[in-house]
Amino acid sequence: MSALLEVKDLETQFKVRAGKLHAVNGVSFSLKQGEMLGVVGESGCGKSVTMMSLIRLLPPSASITNGSVMFEGVDLVKANKEQINAVRGSKIGMIFQDPMTSLNPFVKIGVQLSEGLMYHKSMRKKDAYDRCAQYLDMVGISNSRHRLEEYPHQLSGGMRQRVMIAMALVSEPKIVIADEPTTALDVTIQAQIVDLVKGLREKLDTSIIWITHDLSLLAGMVDRIMVMYAGCVVEEANLRDLYKDPRHPYTIGLLNSIPRLKNNENRRLRSIPGQPPNLLQKPASCPFASRCAFKTERCDRENPGLESVPGDDGASGHRIACWADTRGRI
Amino acid sequence: MGRYVLNRLLRWIPSVLFILLIVYALVFFGAGDPIKLIFLQAPGDVAYDPVRIEAIREASGLNRPFLVQFSDYVIHILKGDFGNSLVSGRSVNEMIKAAVPVTFSLGLSAIAIIAVIGTILGAIAALNQNRWIDNLIVGFAQFTWGIPVFVAGPLIIVFLVLVLKMDVPFGWGGLFSPKVIVPLIVMGLNPMAIIIRQARAGVLEVLSEDYIRTARSKGLPTKTLVFRHILRPVLTPVVSQTGLLVIGALNNSILIEKVFGLPGLGRLTENAITRSDYPIILAIVLIFSFVVMTSNLLVDISYPLLDPRAASKKKGED
Amino acid sequence: MESEAKKTAVVEEKQYNLFKDAMKRLAANKLAMVGLIVVSLVILIAIIGPMITPYDFLSQDLNYRNKAPSAQHWFGTDDLGRDVFSRVIYGARTAVIVAISVTVLSYLIGIVLGSLAGYLGGKVDAFVVWLIDVFMSIPSLLLVIVVNVSVKPVLVNWMDAKFLETQNQFFRNTTWVDFAIVFGSLAFIKWPKAARIIRGQILSIKNKNYVVAAKALGVPTSKIIRRYIIPNSIGPFIVSISSTLGEAMVLESSFSFLGVGVKPPIPSWGNMISDGLRVWQVYPHILAAPALVLAIVTISFSFLGDGLNDALNPRQWK
Repeated sequence: MSALLEVKDLETQFKVRAGKLHAVNGVSFSLKQGEMLGVVGESGCGKSVTMMSLIRLLPPSASITNGSVMFEGVDLVKANKEQINAVRGSKIGMIFQDPMTSLNPFVKIGVQLSEGLMYHKSMRKKDAYDRCAQYLDMVGISNSRHRLEEYPHQLSGGMRQRVMIAMALVSEPKIVIADEPTTALDVTIQAQIVDLVKGLREKLDTSIIWITHDLSLLAGMVDRIMVMYAGCVVEEANLRDLYKDPRHPYTIGLLNSIPRLKNNENRRLRSIPGQPPNLLQKPASCPFASRCAFKTERCDRENPGLESVPGDDGASGHRIACWADTRGRI
Repeated sequence: MGRYVLNRLLRWIPSVLFILLIVYALVFFGAGDPIKLIFLQAPGDVAYDPVRIEAIREASGLNRPFLVQFSDYVIHILKGDFGNSLVSGRSVNEMIKAAVPVTFSLGLSAIAIIAVIGTILGAIAALNQNRWIDNLIVGFAQFTWGIPVFVAGPLIIVFLVLVLKMDVPFGWGGLFSPKVIVPLIVMGLNPMAIIIRQARAGVLEVLSEDYIRTARSKGLPTKTLVFRHILRPVLTPVVSQTGLLVIGALNNSILIEKVFGLPGLGRLTENAITRSDYPIILAIVLIFSFVVMTSNLLVDISYPLLDPRAASKKKGED
Repeated sequence: MESEAKKTAVVEEKQYNLFKDAMKRLAANKLAMVGLIVVSLVILIAIIGPMITPYDFLSQDLNYRNKAPSAQHWFGTDDLGRDVFSRVIYGARTAVIVAISVTVLSYLIGIVLGSLAGYLGGKVDAFVVWLIDVFMSIPSLLLVIVVNVSVKPVLVNWMDAKFLETQNQFFRNTTWVDFAIVFGSLAFIKWPKAARIIRGQILSIKNKNYVVAAKALGVPTSKIIRRYIIPNSIGPFIVSISSTLGEAMVLESSFSFLGVGVKPPIPSWGNMISDGLRVWQVYPHILAAPALVLAIVTISFSFLGDGLNDALNPRQWK
């Protein structure tokens, strides 16, 4: 199956007081129809900025300085305002992190849900509302007709996130980008939202990009995982490969810091020492080198590109950006 | 909602009464003897004849205790009677009726113009943040924000008449006569600055809100974005400034009417001050405070209509 | 997502001393520095002014009336042949004395009432807040006028009686009565703003997590106030003091412009503008000199206030 979305060498910078902040430094990946991709990394690693760059949903201080985003034959980086607006909301939907602030408190839920349909699909208000009510039912909101006439503050946080999900899905987009959709929620609600998205994905065959800082959340949910660090992809693999055979020292560190319940009475949680690098300079060498236990002399000189792992012919799609061969050394 | 309005109204009444009490007490205990003041201008030495003064005092009920006189005054006001001028003996009601249209038509039209133009300029500045047009508008606001009207007014007149040799008409010819233009501009200068700043800050804040990002993620046209998602959250705090605008306009009217020689409440006040004509001053204080408090009341009542969150909070309170 | 990216940068930034950092930001703001220089200059002139003026502000030269600006009289002379430049300089002294005393007085009242309300809360708080609201809804100029016209006759009569009784020359000079009434009545309308700011600061800081945490650790109250409350409220406090100074200066002028404040012959920019307004068509310099000076001073205050606000409240950065 050919790729639905093809991202190449994407670079995004922010203008800040101290100069330029290199938030995304040459990210490439692709996404297939119906595939669910997990993007993981710590705060500030550029995972959100990368995904927002796809539909150019960036604050004025940010700009995409290099790369391409091919979607349905159009490079979204170079697309004009009409083209990008036609993609946003109708072909690529968004779910944001904080449902408490992401819905407009001044506008009724029905209006917020239906406005995309009415604009992009030229639906009449009545039809749009019918469809919105149907999607609210689907995300598990009871009394959906009545809810359409309510304001966001009348719903709980979990309910609002369900509304956000319905809002992203209602125009039946090809891709949904979910930016830490469960981070702001209680743990029990988190599980409900994860189950909901899993169920909806099977039903609707939508491609989903799920951004999170919580690697454990992705288990059993996504097909593929991309690990990001300092604005670069450092490892990319199938879910199974990544958990069973992580290769990048950073991924290994992340996995070690997840608490587990089984078979490990004596195992201590290990954190990764040190801080992420200052991104005011574009990293010229491996950005993880200063925190890495496997560091070689080469790591301080050159930034490794994303290559197939040693001993792999590329068929599994397991790639890492690391000079060291970590096989068997953990 | 109904109970909220009622509640708010019930708090408004003691406030107006309290102001009236303070001002009445100040005049009652401070101002000196009204009878003497009345007869200071009269022929003969009536003011210094204790027997006749006492007789008049007795006759007019001015020897009664403070609270009795105060209640009497309040009752008269409730009947719509502000009494008579100490100086001319004319009915204060008549004098005020003649002056009110001048002050209020000027003030209200100034506020309307300020609110609309100020909001638009503030929004333009915010949408072009840190570009030259933003700097120009912010610079203008910063420049005019502190300058008092009795400084701006005369300087503008001097500039127009003596430097540009323009023929600036003075006096009052109704709201739609060209004589109004210069006073309106002067009156608008510094409240305009307040609204520009407020609107600019409001637009900037709203633009950085998560829900605007959500709206943008739906690929809506700019028109929908501005009118549906941005305008209301920006206008809500601007509306809450209305009370401030009203106070400013009333304060400035006293000064402006002196500068431009307009026959409004301001000039009435000035004349009353120089002649210590207390019934007029009392009446004007009352009218001004009434207008300010009523506009605050209206703002408070309209707030829940503008902000749905406030509406349900209010419901929860009552 | 922007904040997420910025966090990385913030981690790397060194921790500066808050106050030094603020001063650095202020120094980088050109307009604020212009404002600071002008304001300092005005205060300096107020102190040493009478020593450097070429003429006495009262000395009249009836042969030299209404003269246009020249080398001898930089700003010309007025209708009594007094040197306008010297009077403008002396006016700075009036303005600064009034501004500082009014600010000190209103903050004394504001600190007492504001902290009572903030600390005690409950009914005391509700009452103080109501009082603030009521006072803020009386147009300030009118309230000042009422206080002035009602309190002054009482004081003046008392002084007259004292003079007759003691023959002490002190009681014949009513200039200080003018000043005292101006201070008192302006403080009377300025305290609510001060009280509101103090109360707001106390409330917001009292519930901040770091104060709650310090309390939980058993840090003594005096140390909490010294280490947390004062450093964190000093910024808004300085900003509001600077704006009150500017506003009091403008109020003093508007007050004497209307003829109720500092009385001639003591020069105040306000009564000079009022005098100038009568003759501006023939001798515009008499009007323009004090008006321009007052305009420059108020603009400087607003520049300085803005600069201080930006420098001391970095959280408001966009």
